[in-house]
Amino acid sequence: MAREIPMVAAINEALHVAMAADPDVIVLGEDVAGGGGRADQGIEEAWGGIMGATRGLLKRFGPSRVRDTPISEMGFLGAAVGAAATGLRPVAELMFIDFLGVALDPLLNQAAKLRYMFGGKARVPLTVRTSTGAGLRSAAQHSQSLYNITTAIPGLKTVVPSTPADAKGLLLAAIRDDDPVVFCEPKSLLFVSGAVPEGDYEVPLGLAAVVREGSDVSLVGFGRTVRTALDAAEILAREGTSAEVLDLRSLQPLDEAAILATLAKTGRLVVIDEAPPRCGIASDVAALCVDRGFDLLNAPVRRVTAPHAPVPFSPVLEDAYLPSAERVVAVVREMG
Amino acid sequence: MATAIAMPKLGMTMQEGRVLSWPVRVGERVAKGQPVLLIESEKAEVEVEAPATGVLRHVYVEPDATVPCGTLLAAVTAAADEPFDPEAFRQAHRPSEGPGRPSADAASPRTPSGPAAPPPGARAPAGPGAITPAARARARELGIDPAAVPGRGPGGRVVREDVEAFAARRAALVAVAEGVALEVPTTGAGDPVLLLPGFGTDVAAFVRQTPALASRFRVRGVNPRGVAGSDAPEAERYDVATLAADAAAVADRPAHVVGASLGAAVALELALVHPARVRTLTLLTPFVTAGARLLAVLDGWCRIARDAGPETLAHALLPWLFSERLLADAAASERTRRGLAGIVARVPPATLERTAAGVRAWSGTRAAALGAIGVPTLVLAGGADLLAPDGAAVAAAIPGAACVTVAHAGHALALEAPDEVNAAIAAHLAAAS
Repeated sequence: MAREIPMVAAINEALHVAMAADPDVIVLGEDVAGGGGRADQGIEEAWGGIMGATRGLLKRFGPSRVRDTPISEMGFLGAAVGAAATGLRPVAELMFIDFLGVALDPLLNQAAKLRYMFGGKARVPLTVRTSTGAGLRSAAQHSQSLYNITTAIPGLKTVVPSTPADAKGLLLAAIRDDDPVVFCEPKSLLFVSGAVPEGDYEVPLGLAAVVREGSDVSLVGFGRTVRTALDAAEILAREGTSAEVLDLRSLQPLDEAAILATLAKTGRLVVIDEAPPRCGIASDVAALCVDRGFDLLNAPVRRVTAPHAPVPFSPVLEDAYLPSAERVVAVVREMG
Repeated sequence: MATAIAMPKLGMTMQEGRVLSWPVRVGERVAKGQPVLLIESEKAEVEVEAPATGVLRHVYVEPDATVPCGTLLAAVTAAADEPFDPEAFRQAHRPSEGPGRPSADAASPRTPSGPAAPPPGARAPAGPGAITPAARARARELGIDPAAVPGRGPGGRVVREDVEAFAARRAALVAVAEGVALEVPTTGAGDPVLLLPGFGTDVAAFVRQTPALASRFRVRGVNPRGVAGSDAPEAERYDVATLAADAAAVADRPAHVVGASLGAAVALELALVHPARVRTLTLLTPFVTAGARLLAVLDGWCRIARDAGPETLAHALLPWLFSERLLADAAASERTRRGLAGIVARVPPATLERTAAGVRAWSGTRAAALGAIGVPTLVLAGGADLLAPDGAAVAAAIPGAACVTVAHAGHALALEAPDEVNAAIAAHLAAAS
């Protein structure tokens, strides 16, 4: 029986494992060491990131491999791309995905393009760790889920774990992947605990997981919305409807076969995403179902998302903003 | 929170609708999508579904009332005990305006109304014949015409399960002639009994007989061509001889044949033309020559079915099929009428007309032939039968036939006097076994 630890601790373990196994793995970002935790200032043990995800790395691996950066996402992500292209395996932290805007070019036009444009002669084995999502009253500029933007960029991979075990395994796979991977950490799940295996293991990128088997309707979620889907499935079960829950885990590559397989099984599919509805993952999955699974559809494909609005600061409004199990159940009842 | 049920506007020209019945009573729980109300507009009967799950809290409009579209008809609340003020809710309800309603403010010029765009976020309503891709694919696989499948999904949409259910029903049909298969609900075990229903009804008319017989026999109710789930081939007329041939094809072994009214006519034909199929004959309220009143009722039956709906038809038929005694009992009368409405709803107008033509053509042709019947026969007659009052004469013309009259009962004997009918049939079948 594996011990239960919060997702942030599982992420920390993955970083320890990766850095111990490969001397080329370095960590950089704002406060990853802790700002004050520098040996030249006589302070050995670092703070280890605003959530503690990078705790203990400085002490164990030293300042040349664990680097605090200035508050300049453009600068340090550019540096990370350069480091990756010249032989290191950097794990850069973009503290909030909301800051993607100030650092988009290094990712969009450099990291995503170098391998392609150099005909494979350049590789960018970069991992960008970033926190996503709402639910912690962090307001509109610190609660977004912009993984739809990174997913849309060819050349980047994007993953979103929903459990501590998947977080550890996906991060190890992401670090070892030779292409740039955006590793999204749903902030509302960072302190939710789960069973996590010891040691070194990977969860392959591009593989979804059926976390609850069912036969009447498929609920597709990822990150925070997997719990939403499971809660909805419980309510539906009491009403005699058997719901299957699919955790996407990986947005690019997307496990299209798993999505079509669950659709084939039930004929009815609901996608749940905590991001707003336009040009998002929910629409992407729905389009796949209609395009490639048309004859499997026994009901309209429904999307349960946040509204087309910024994330509210008011706790009452933020709770109403996020998809809930009740809303999913209402949609399933309506679908027929 | 209360949700309104209002008279729907089912088409651009619909102005008003009539409430026919409330199958759900006030205080009962309803599920969203469950039919709670039957309305009628322009000769079409439509089920109205509950717009939310909860409890039917208050009904504002009683059956037979005609009201404009948008009128508040009922309220559903989420919980049975939440506070609800029917009058306040009624006052707060504003009938929704639809295209074609005159503007309340005559002074302001209205822009010419075209087809209104659905409000943002609304779902486009399903057109007639809506069918899911999965259902269509399954229908294609099974060789079924999707248009023939009744849809139970939202808005009458045909879903895959509907196609499966339709295929299962069709697979259970019994082939009786080239391209004609009949629905033969079967229950019980033992020697076979064939139940042949009367004009304009299906085997549900024998609902009080089937359980009693099924304990000792294999009961096979034969829904004739054109009735309920049986095939309805195109024809000018469904002859009684054809109906008898159909029934003969169903009987794989000699069977105890029980027929009511027209079903008794078919049973007579069977006994005369296919005697090997008939072990015993039981004739409920039979006729060999249709009297003027019977023919007039058949004629009216066809007209009402075409021009009105099953509810109206049941109201009109009740006094012709049942006795004064039953009609005088309000509760029994109401219960019977509702059951009758359900039964007659399953026979479409075209079938009624074809079958009535068959009856008219057959009437009188076998009056002299009854002496040739050589199987044990029981005639059950109703003392208050207005439509086929000559049961005793029929019995007298069949060699060795017995006749039992239930003095107080009308033409629909099997429904009105089930205990007497069941006892007589049981004795008749036992004596022959």
